[in-house]
Amino acid sequence: MGRPLTFMTESQSSPADARAARAARLEAARSELVAATVRGQGGRHAMRQYSHRMDALVQQLFADAGAVSQPVAVFALGGYGRRELCLHSDIDVLVLFAGAIVPPDERFLHAFLNPLWDLGLTVGHHVREVHEGATLEADNPEFLLALTDGRAVVGDATLLDQFVGASHVARTATRTLDALKALIAERHARFNETLYQLEPDVKDAPGGLRDLFGAQTIAKLTDPALLAQGGSGARELDDAEDFMLRVRSILHLEAKRHHNVLSHELQERAAEYLGYPGATPRQRVERFMSDYFRHARAIDRSLRWALRAAPLPLDRNLVRAADGVRFIDPRAAADRPETWLGLFQAALDGACAVSDDALSSVRQHAGKYRPEDFFQTPEQRDALLRFLTPRPGLYARLSEMHDSGLLGQMVPEFKAITCRVVRDFYHKYTVDEHTLLTIRNLERLTEPGIGPERERYARLLAELPSPELLVLALLFHDVGKWKDEDHASESTRMAQQMFERLELDDEARGVVEFLVREHLKMSLVAFRRDTEDPEIVRQFAELVAVEERLKMLCLLTLADVEAVSRETLTPWKEELLWRLYVDTYNHLTLSYGDEVIERSQSVHSDLIDGRPEDVSAEEITGFLEGLPRRYLQLFSRDAVYRHVRLSRRLTPDMVQAWMERTDAAWELTVLTHDQPFLFSNISGVLSSFGMDILRGFAFTKPDGLVVDMFHFTDEERFLELNAGGDGKVIEVLEDVIRGRVDLAARLTGREQGAFRRRLPGFAPVIHADNDSSRRYTIVEIVAENALGLLYRMSRVMSEYGCDVDLVLIATEGRRAIDVFHLTKDGRKLTPSQQQTLTGNLHRVLEGRP
Amino acid sequence: MKLIKSIVRPNKVDEVKAALEKLQISGMTVTEVRGHGKQKGHTAIYRGQEYNVSLLPKMEIEVVVPDSMADDAIKAIIEAARTGEIGDGRVFVLPVAESYKIRTGERQVD
Repeated sequence: MGRPLTFMTESQSSPADARAARAARLEAARSELVAATVRGQGGRHAMRQYSHRMDALVQQLFADAGAVSQPVAVFALGGYGRRELCLHSDIDVLVLFAGAIVPPDERFLHAFLNPLWDLGLTVGHHVREVHEGATLEADNPEFLLALTDGRAVVGDATLLDQFVGASHVARTATRTLDALKALIAERHARFNETLYQLEPDVKDAPGGLRDLFGAQTIAKLTDPALLAQGGSGARELDDAEDFMLRVRSILHLEAKRHHNVLSHELQERAAEYLGYPGATPRQRVERFMSDYFRHARAIDRSLRWALRAAPLPLDRNLVRAADGVRFIDPRAAADRPETWLGLFQAALDGACAVSDDALSSVRQHAGKYRPEDFFQTPEQRDALLRFLTPRPGLYARLSEMHDSGLLGQMVPEFKAITCRVVRDFYHKYTVDEHTLLTIRNLERLTEPGIGPERERYARLLAELPSPELLVLALLFHDVGKWKDEDHASESTRMAQQMFERLELDDEARGVVEFLVREHLKMSLVAFRRDTEDPEIVRQFAELVAVEERLKMLCLLTLADVEAVSRETLTPWKEELLWRLYVDTYNHLTLSYGDEVIERSQSVHSDLIDGRPEDVSAEEITGFLEGLPRRYLQLFSRDAVYRHVRLSRRLTPDMVQAWMERTDAAWELTVLTHDQPFLFSNISGVLSSFGMDILRGFAFTKPDGLVVDMFHFTDEERFLELNAGGDGKVIEVLEDVIRGRVDLAARLTGREQGAFRRRLPGFAPVIHADNDSSRRYTIVEIVAENALGLLYRMSRVMSEYGCDVDLVLIATEGRRAIDVFHLTKDGRKLTPSQQQTLTGNLHRVLEGRP
Repeated sequence: MKLIKSIVRPNKVDEVKAALEKLQISGMTVTEVRGHGKQKGHTAIYRGQEYNVSLLPKMEIEVVVPDSMADDAIKAIIEAARTGEIGDGRVFVLPVAESYKIRTGERQVD
């Protein structure tokens, strides 16, 4: 914050008097600088003095310029900003307004700037509004460079912070640096890349003042200590600067204008002013010029060093240097623990380490802070989850965080197992290191060239929508080992503390809690139970309930067993684990249709006990009867009650449909009665709006009631750009289901487009079997995802007279994995019917007529 | 002496070990192995694609017992490892001419 400034106003006197007074003040200031120059002392000190006088003049003009409608401030830029004003230097200023400029502000601008011009000064003025900081990176490069030396002269000094604060700091810094480098290259080319000019330009020539400012700017933007670490060193550079400024002052004085070329004639004058000894002018010039080149070389060395060694700006207070990512200003960073994760994230993004000095700064200050200090906002909490996404380097960064004490401060539960030794016959590492190694094992699955055995697990990892939750679970899976008793329960309890701190949503809590609590189950079943017994697989499938949790638990088990010791995870165990995964996956996706909710079962007693007043126990039981048990795992309690209510008055021709937004995607739920082509009609309508269906499911009860749910992304931003767009989609859906709109016509153009975009090298897989389910023929299709794929496939099935009773939809990267449970005339398909159907499906998927 | 080599289901190892320990047979070698018997494995399907799982994971347990104990040991192994289903495994019995304790060089003949 700038201090309030008070001014003597000149407005009481006449305008002519005021002008005369200002001219006199400027003249006095210039005389002072001239006198110093003549003494050979027109260097840094004299220029500071002159700049100071100029500040006073600017402050006076600001005070006299009249009223403004809003906060405003004047900032000195470039050489004036550095307080290195020479006799005929331009006065570069930025007039910055807090908001939009209105007529009184324009009058103020004229009243402020005109007198400067009247004084004969060359004014380079920039006028901006604070909000323009948001587009600062696109501003002109000379302005960006001048701004790096910006300092407040008068007015509300905080405006510059707001202006720069609104910008993307790293991008602006990078663009400024790029512009600077380009300008340096261009300027050097004009001088044939050599500083040894016999008549050098002290400002523009290589080794001149612009090179010096260039080196200083690079340091300012990347590492303030840069110029002390290499090149000519800070002291030599200081001397060079003062020398060059003294010479420049002489040139301005002698040429009586903005002139910077040290011609032969002016070399003699400069040697004289600076008091070089020698019997003849030639001897004095030779000595003087020898000094000039010595200083120019010093500047040149430092600039080259800065260009070579400057770290790369990454964020507001972060750069990437040769030894890793570090804070530009460690002292400022020490007070802002919420920015520390950014240090490690930047290293992760840049595939490099965190520098030793940044780590020691973290180590020194970490103990001062509480866990919540590191994650103060929802964005900062989300950033932690993003950070935990498995990728190369995560283990190394977490190890740095652990070693510097940061991990234990951020996650105090983890502190409890630091260097914790549990003596058993198989663990080879302390509990904390074992935990971090599990994350390393997971991270390795994201690296190329891991071999076919691991490739299958790597694919599972790539399929997870939220792999960061798996890492979070790994981080917590053994924290309960600080106690000697049942550690899985204790780990779960401790994880719950973290859920509160991180304000994790219910779904994420559910997943992480499940993984932590059950983290030993899959290895127990895979390695110590008879997995050829279908009952064992069924029980395990019941535990995991859905494919995503199965995949996560499988990967957790793999990573956990491998982190016990180098020898623990044998190819034999890997195979056992994989087989349990496949059997369970098949059970979940192919056999779930056989497990329907029966009236007598008590699986839904929680639903009945917790029901709202308007829903009766009988209604719930009646609604659930005949639905696959999986239904209960996919819908929340509130969703079930909603379905019960909506199903009450559902007549056969009625469609109940609604859409909800979930993060970046949407969900469409449809409750209706079954009819031919229903599923293909719903999926086709979504495709006709350009929606990409990612996952979903369709359930049909024996009495014909259908519950479908589609999770999709709004690829063409129809819902985003059209208010009430969801209503429109549902309207079209109803029209299509009732046969009022021809869906095929709506889709024609789009489907052709989708076929044209097809990528090569991906043959569809279609598999039909009558063995996995007692009631249905299962058709499993793995094909390249494309707009309208579900529509086309299900349409083929309906056209063949099949009832599409149950559907599971999944998308994994480019692949769509869809499982249809079908019957034809109430029975499974015969082998020849299966053959005909798969033939038809192949034809459609391959785009054949 | 007899070398009794049993191929059992992985989940049956603990039970076989316990049964042998009951007979005071404590020395044994357990190895993770893969193989198939008469049923020659089977075909599994994952995401619509078949893959062959002809070599099934099994555990091999080797014990060397005096001739007098061989029958009891074989019986104990079979009882502990049996489920009655295909894939329960096999027990092989081989004669052992002599054996030596490496630490002491002591020779043992039955």
